[in-house]
Amino acid sequence: MGKSETNEKLLCIEKIYKSFGSNLVLRGIDLELKAGEVLALIGGNGAGKSTLMKIIMGIYQSDKGSIYVNSKQLHLSNASAALAAGIYMVPQEPMLFPNMTVEENITMGFKGKQSELKKKIVELMQSIGWELDLERSASSLSIAEQTLVEIIRGLLREAKILILDEPTSALTFDEVASFFKVVKDLKDKGIGIIYITHRLSEVFEIATHVSIMCDGIITLDGQVEDFNREMLIKGLMPSNCEQKEKAETELKTIDYKNLKPVFELKDYSGYGFNNISFGVYPGEILGLAGVVGAGRTELVRTIFGRDKTLSGKVLLEGKDITGLKTSAMLKAGINLVPEDRHNHGLFKISAVSENITASMLDRKDMGRFTLNRKKERQLTSKYVEDFRIKVTDNGQLAGSLSGGNQQKVVIGKSLSTLPKLVILDEPTRGIDAAARMDVYRIINELKSKGVAVLLISSDLEEIVELADRSIAVFNGRINREFTKKEITMDNLTAASFGLYKDQEAI
Amino acid sequence: MNLLKRLSRVRWLSSLVFLIILFTVTGIINPTFFSYENIISAFNSSVVFTLLAAGIAFVIMTGEIDVSIGATMGLSAAIAGTIAQRGGSIAEMLLYAAVLGIAVGIINGVGVAIIKVPSLIFTLGIMGIVRGLVYVYSGGRTVENFAGDFTNLGSKTIFGDITIYYSIVVVVIIAGHLILTRTRSGKNFIAVGDNIGGATLIGIPVVWTKVLAYILSGIFAAVAGVAFASKYGQVNIVAGSGYEMSAIAACVLGGVSLSGGLGSLLGAGIGAVIMSTIGRLLVFIGLSSDFDNTIKGIMLITIVVTDALMHTRSVEKARRARLAARASSHNDVKVDSADEK
Repeated sequence: MGKSETNEKLLCIEKIYKSFGSNLVLRGIDLELKAGEVLALIGGNGAGKSTLMKIIMGIYQSDKGSIYVNSKQLHLSNASAALAAGIYMVPQEPMLFPNMTVEENITMGFKGKQSELKKKIVELMQSIGWELDLERSASSLSIAEQTLVEIIRGLLREAKILILDEPTSALTFDEVASFFKVVKDLKDKGIGIIYITHRLSEVFEIATHVSIMCDGIITLDGQVEDFNREMLIKGLMPSNCEQKEKAETELKTIDYKNLKPVFELKDYSGYGFNNISFGVYPGEILGLAGVVGAGRTELVRTIFGRDKTLSGKVLLEGKDITGLKTSAMLKAGINLVPEDRHNHGLFKISAVSENITASMLDRKDMGRFTLNRKKERQLTSKYVEDFRIKVTDNGQLAGSLSGGNQQKVVIGKSLSTLPKLVILDEPTRGIDAAARMDVYRIINELKSKGVAVLLISSDLEEIVELADRSIAVFNGRINREFTKKEITMDNLTAASFGLYKDQEAI
Repeated sequence: MNLLKRLSRVRWLSSLVFLIILFTVTGIINPTFFSYENIISAFNSSVVFTLLAAGIAFVIMTGEIDVSIGATMGLSAAIAGTIAQRGGSIAEMLLYAAVLGIAVGIINGVGVAIIKVPSLIFTLGIMGIVRGLVYVYSGGRTVENFAGDFTNLGSKTIFGDITIYYSIVVVVIIAGHLILTRTRSGKNFIAVGDNIGGATLIGIPVVWTKVLAYILSGIFAAVAGVAFASKYGQVNIVAGSGYEMSAIAACVLGGVSLSGGLGSLLGAGIGAVIMSTIGRLLVFIGLSSDFDNTIKGIMLITIVVTDALMHTRSVEKARRARLAARASSHNDVKVDSADEK
């Protein structure tokens, strides 16, 4: 029986086309999902993954093409049609109702008796091994907990087709492990799963099939066994640029003896971190490793004047700049590329040029009374060319760019003030491989110009690749410092998860 | 303990407490206020505001606003007045009111939910149009001299000294309250205001919910117009203007959050009682009732600002508590974990 079931096509998508205005986003997508399969869908931002998922969920309608569920053609005109067909999506950013309790959130829009539903939820949570107080209000949940609630929501609906959009991006190490167990359980129960991810290791750990999407078409697909890591990376990348970059970083090692740190933290404490001390040298990339929630983002937010300093000192070129306001920090020569470019980085409905010059409007050469448009144009063109930002023209709205290009605009904005220290918080999160390489190139260029770079990343490969020195943060404290030689995936991983012990290091 | 905790979450209870405090303070300043008639009439006289507040509460819960209710009420009152002049029945008036309310509601709903014009702007425009129609309809004259006992209906009582009107309103409010909190489609209003993206994703008909909220708001406002005509026995061309502020303030006082997703009809009803008695309370305290609107405005602003401050503070506090918990976490591996706590 199990066999005949696996041959059944749960979901079949044929020749889906979709365009927004003149922008063709999907160019004939074919996709198949059978019961018990986990299809990993990978591809850069702007590849059209989320558009495709929204079409499957009935939020967008395709221009051409057809969708079959259990061999029946469906016209998904809204989300409830998709839900009725047994499709459920756990979005990348959880969409809960903050004013409702966990229980209300899970049962909202659900048919059935409240008491029975509650019993089912409790059973579900027990079978997965998650604990959540059902009476808590959703606004008090962490992002990881919110993701869990979303997943329980989907499980309660007994969806046959589950779409998981980067579900692990906000989960901790343990949570990821138990989450994978759940996914395997679901797989065994014959549920078809579309698993969108940027983490290639997850593909091999959890998926049965893999599809790579690029520019609105599927460029590669097949069973996971037929692929290896390198093949996937190749499939994702527009080749050639990768190897050169590596060679460059290998070349230079920094002689710390004759250098003085540009930027120093001394016993710095704030909300979410304690007693942090380190220095960043000019022309150095200091990698700050640690898992999500280790206190990295809070640390830089506080340095940048967005939160209260509890104790300790911040020194820039020996001058005490502790607790200055953000505008003063900018003037002093620190700039931040924030983790969340949508909420803190980008002016979405402003032009690219206005974004890039946004943090330097105070400067005299930008004009005394009215803005110097020529200067604005020059600067914008410079960054657009240097960073290879794909724009139709400099006046294009920043919000209409793809993720990678948006990020480059945000970086451009931060560099336009010519800072002495640049803090990059997750500079390549959610951007595609090609854009990632461009960002790496930009970071290396900064370094060669003598700018001090503080690079924060949960992508440890990124730190291995770029950093000259690295410190690992765990539970709000510095766990360990590594020199260039010591920076390896193993060391960093161990330290980030609090496993690195001095004894072992010796 | 647990009960206390749960009670503190019921937002309309704090409005009730506020109402009691308000009455008590007035009574302390001027003991003559503490009479049975005064208290009862505080409730009886709030029929119009209660209907307006209950209607707009649906819209506010979905995260939008409707400032056209005062004008809708005025037009409906004028229509009811002309029907009363020729001795028409109250059923006829209610029928016209319903049609008017639905029509205005659909227009508002389409403009806001489908065409996606910001609700304040769209309903402001509709308010202008409807108010203009009042002038056109009544030829700029006050509608008065009603035939029959239409104007006496408002003072007829049932259950002791509670008027029939207020009894009906109470039943409607309680029914509406139960529908909102106990039924699936009722909860949709709150869900849409709480997180519109999330609501879409779990298949809640977001657009329809908003349109329905505007329709309900329109119907309640139009029915309030009938009550208005009956209560005052005449309808002038500016009847109901400015009432939208009182209705919004009533909702806010009753714990309906202006950003949507929070609140109840019961709360809106209690808020409406406060709003409609402020003028009277001022007189008892010894102030001129000219202060009426100013005081209402001050209360509205005060509550909205306090609410916003409390909200950001609690969010910030929760965030910091979470961060602190994380940073001083348990099984630390090593190093100087001599915590200062």
